[in-house]
Amino acid sequence: MGALTKKQKEKKSDFKKTKLKVGKTRPKNTNATDTSFAAKSIVLKQQNLGETGRDATALFNHNLSLLSSKSETQRRDALQYLTSACTTIATAKLPQSAAAIIAKAQPLILDGNSAVRGQLLKLFRSLPAAQVGSLDQVLLYTRAGMAHLSNDIKLFALDILDWSIGTNADTVMSCPGGWIKMLRTFQNLLAWQGDTINGVVTHGKWSATKSTSSKLGSNKLLVHQLNTLASFLTAAMTPPPSDPFAEAKRAAQIFPLLETQAHLLPAKSNTFGYLNLFGAVRDLEGEVYADADERIEIFNELGLLEDFRTGTLEAKKEAGEVGRAASGVDKALRLAEIG
Amino acid sequence: MKRKLAALEKLDADLPALQHKIRNDPPSYRDDFVNQYSQYQSLYELFEASPTTTDDTGIVRLRDLVDFVSHVADCYPTLTKAFPGQLIRLLELHHATLEAELRDKLVGSLVLLRRKEVIDSQILLNVLWPLLISTPSKSLRALLFQKILSDLRTSNNKTTNHKLNRSVQTTCYNLIASNPASPKGLWAVKLTRELWKRQVWTDGKAVSIMEAAALCQDAKVVTGGVRFFLGGDQEREEAADDDSEAEDTVDVRKLKHQAGINKKSSKRNKEVRDATKKVKRQEKKKNAPHPLNFSALHLLHDPQGFAEKLFQQHLQPAQPKVKLNLDQKLLVLNLVSRLVGLHKLTLISLYSYFLKYLSPRQPSVTSFLASLAQATHSLVPPDALEPLVQKIANEFVSEAAASEVASAGLNGIREVCVRQPLAMNETLLQDLVQYRKSKDKGVQMAARGLLSLYRDVGAEMLKKRDRGRDAALKLRAQNTQEGGIEAARRFGQVDEGGIEGLDLLEKWKEEQGLDEDEDEAKGWENWDAESDDSESSGGWINVESEGEDIDVSDSEDEKERKKDVEKAKKQKLPEAKDDEKENVDDAETTSRATASLEPEAAVKREEQRISKLATTRILTPADLTKLKELQQSAAITANLPSAKRRKLAVQAAAANAARHADDAVTASDIAGLAKLSAGKATKEERVALARGVRDGVEAEKNDHRSTTARRKEKKASEGKSTTNKEKARKKNFMMTLGKAKRKGKRSLVEQRGILKAHVERGKRGGRKGNKYVGATIVNLGQEGWVGGWYIKPS
Repeated sequence: MGALTKKQKEKKSDFKKTKLKVGKTRPKNTNATDTSFAAKSIVLKQQNLGETGRDATALFNHNLSLLSSKSETQRRDALQYLTSACTTIATAKLPQSAAAIIAKAQPLILDGNSAVRGQLLKLFRSLPAAQVGSLDQVLLYTRAGMAHLSNDIKLFALDILDWSIGTNADTVMSCPGGWIKMLRTFQNLLAWQGDTINGVVTHGKWSATKSTSSKLGSNKLLVHQLNTLASFLTAAMTPPPSDPFAEAKRAAQIFPLLETQAHLLPAKSNTFGYLNLFGAVRDLEGEVYADADERIEIFNELGLLEDFRTGTLEAKKEAGEVGRAASGVDKALRLAEIG
Repeated sequence: MKRKLAALEKLDADLPALQHKIRNDPPSYRDDFVNQYSQYQSLYELFEASPTTTDDTGIVRLRDLVDFVSHVADCYPTLTKAFPGQLIRLLELHHATLEAELRDKLVGSLVLLRRKEVIDSQILLNVLWPLLISTPSKSLRALLFQKILSDLRTSNNKTTNHKLNRSVQTTCYNLIASNPASPKGLWAVKLTRELWKRQVWTDGKAVSIMEAAALCQDAKVVTGGVRFFLGGDQEREEAADDDSEAEDTVDVRKLKHQAGINKKSSKRNKEVRDATKKVKRQEKKKNAPHPLNFSALHLLHDPQGFAEKLFQQHLQPAQPKVKLNLDQKLLVLNLVSRLVGLHKLTLISLYSYFLKYLSPRQPSVTSFLASLAQATHSLVPPDALEPLVQKIANEFVSEAAASEVASAGLNGIREVCVRQPLAMNETLLQDLVQYRKSKDKGVQMAARGLLSLYRDVGAEMLKKRDRGRDAALKLRAQNTQEGGIEAARRFGQVDEGGIEGLDLLEKWKEEQGLDEDEDEAKGWENWDAESDDSESSGGWINVESEGEDIDVSDSEDEKERKKDVEKAKKQKLPEAKDDEKENVDDAETTSRATASLEPEAAVKREEQRISKLATTRILTPADLTKLKELQQSAAITANLPSAKRRKLAVQAAAANAARHADDAVTASDIAGLAKLSAGKATKEERVALARGVRDGVEAEKNDHRSTTARRKEKKASEGKSTTNKEKARKKNFMMTLGKAKRKGKRSLVEQRGILKAHVERGKRGGRKGNKYVGATIVNLGQEGWVGGWYIKPS
């Protein structure tokens, strides 16, 4: 009701004659504050460009800080500098650790500019794989990128995932949500939901044909997705190569004793973490699945195997590039069957 | 191909478009939604991981996605099960650091989810209310308050949601009660007041929240609570009036006319339909019975305890827990005195508290005087009031005091004495009455007011020559009749009531000269007979034959009457008294008003008023019927023009009496006549007064324009054209010439026809009138249709 009366009042006020005053307006007070600002934040288009008179460390740090610059070219140039620095300087002598560099650079996974993204991948590849550290933030950004609206960013996020699997598969798997959440993301992307029967999606009364490759353009994205999925599955479900002599070696090491390992203090941190005695209630998706057996078990338990297999069958039928990629996935899925 | 692809992709990225498509067909766009939802999820996780460092683009994207998902969440309930929880988590954990726009969006989305019934009000309010209390941001508080209010209003829209109301009221109450010293309680006060104003909460629980607020230990909360009791109900009434006024009036006739002329389209049809619907709704609302809402003061659980606590906590102690300034103190005092006056409470220490403040130098002393008057009622011991009246008289009313002061003092004394006449002693009264000889008009009038009051309630305290004719006659009559017993009112005396119209019945009986015993026996005849055959029994027939115009054969009436009589027989006297009480006011005012007109009659009527008819014998059913009949005939005579003047006087007196009973006394009442003694008005003021300008609006009377011009303006303001007379006057002279020429040459027969037609038209009520006169139709003498009537000559 209030709005209505207000409107009426406004309408009436339109037709009111305003009284015009003759003469000058009152001069402003001497101590009046000018409040006519329009901008809420001040944006610096150009940030300090002078590079003379600095040592390498300062320059490196400066370029690292330029990664969050507003200007695209500046970001790209900074990435270029960092890449060259990483390749030329010895690993031990880098002014910042690889983990710190990644932490600073990871938001650029979602960057809108393709040149920046390309350079970012180059930077990541130039980093020493052993020093990368925890990847959970990177994985978060990767997942966001995989679900992004833009196809380019989707493709790029898959590249990043490929890189992380290629260099640090174990670290990826040991991230919370690194296994199931990633699988769910793939499931969503490929639309391999559980409620598909013979390629027909049924929701209630209605049915619609499923569209794995619904996009009108090339199925480049789909192929990439399938390939990455295949490598992801393979990396996750392949048990680590077991050394046939490991048992004997250990026995030799601790010769007079037997099965000391069971009685010693555990070497792993947070050994009883799986009991989750003190943490918040975890869901299945956020859990860490440390070894391949566990991963296979949960993979079967959640019924993902069925869904993925149906999905792969569908994709295989498309033949061509997609079919070939799908058969790669199929091969990876066989690992789960064995386990 | 490429261009097409780009366009399609763009469409997918366009969230509003996707939202629209999903609305139309949720199953088909499930995959698209899943994609967006997973995008939202990853953004949410990113935000969770680092709430402060997320960059602008991330926040904007998250905001858009939250908006999108909340709009279509009801289409995919299983997929978005976790969504509301996530929003709530974001708000609860990060509301202090969230970017403002995103924060507002989160609140808005939660409310949207509530509207779509994804979550219920309970959950929503449990999130919003703690936020409202704890957030440091002013804009967020305003937003939250508005959302909470609107949610409560909508959930009480169709039916009262008792469960929700109770839980919110409990939360409000606990907020105040758990920590009385914190200023956070203000939100509870604000919410309660707003909902009270909108008539969403009208029960005792809301009042108890305000009770707790008035007794807590923060000055702002206290004043909020007190102001609610003093003005909440008035505000509620005003809001209700506003609502009814603000509605747009739709002219359906105009719309229909337009629809008839313009091109027909479904849109126009719909407009007309909507308009008629709206008008019907408005009509229905207008005719709806007024909701019976008790005022907050009447819904208090324990008024005595409340008043005592208020007084002891905020006013009495020299060092109260809450420091209140004078204005706030006055508010509290106003409430306490209002409670005391309204519920007739006993709070003796209150009166001695006033003593300190009754001096002309005290700021806003008129408010204190008003409060004092308000706190006075007939059950206050005169001993408590006498020193106060004495002090007012000493401090305010003297020759040396300024005239405004004196008139304020006299008014204050009068207001006190209206409520408790025994607070005055004889010497003081006689002294004060002398001020009617004062030169100042304000003082004069005030003193006259006091005089006329005591002429009414205690004439014997006045000097003989001050009593006036009416009061003296009344006094004499009382003295002769009762031996002076009734002369002085005593403390705690309550007026006895009377049965309305009993005097009429007695008079009628006297006139009829009925033998009492015989009549009574007759009246009781068949009183318990079956209602169906009661018409044939003697006792009832008698009554019937005399009052033909009253329908007494209604069986339900009979039963009721029977019940009444039964009761009367069982309880005899007390029952009669009960009945009397209901009509105390009327009987009293009638007698009082007429007394001033004709003293002789007044004395007589007074006699009748205390007639013992009802106390000496039991009224028979026949008596009661007759009573009703007599009352009706009396009402008819009362409506005759000669009686109207008298009736008006009675009404005025009744209004006056009503004012004293329940309304608040304000400082302006006390200051009242001081305006008269404020000295001469300036020339401009006098001119304005003479021209009838009040508040800048010129009165109709002193508008210096011709009658025609004013009429014209009136017509124009009603949206009408000129009158027929005006048109006739303005008609071109040349056009009237022909008719005038022809007029002179009419034959007698023609002339007769015209005259006849004119007369008939007059009878019908103009050319378009449908007031058919029977005689003219019968004159036609033939069968057939005439103007929509089928006529058959007899």
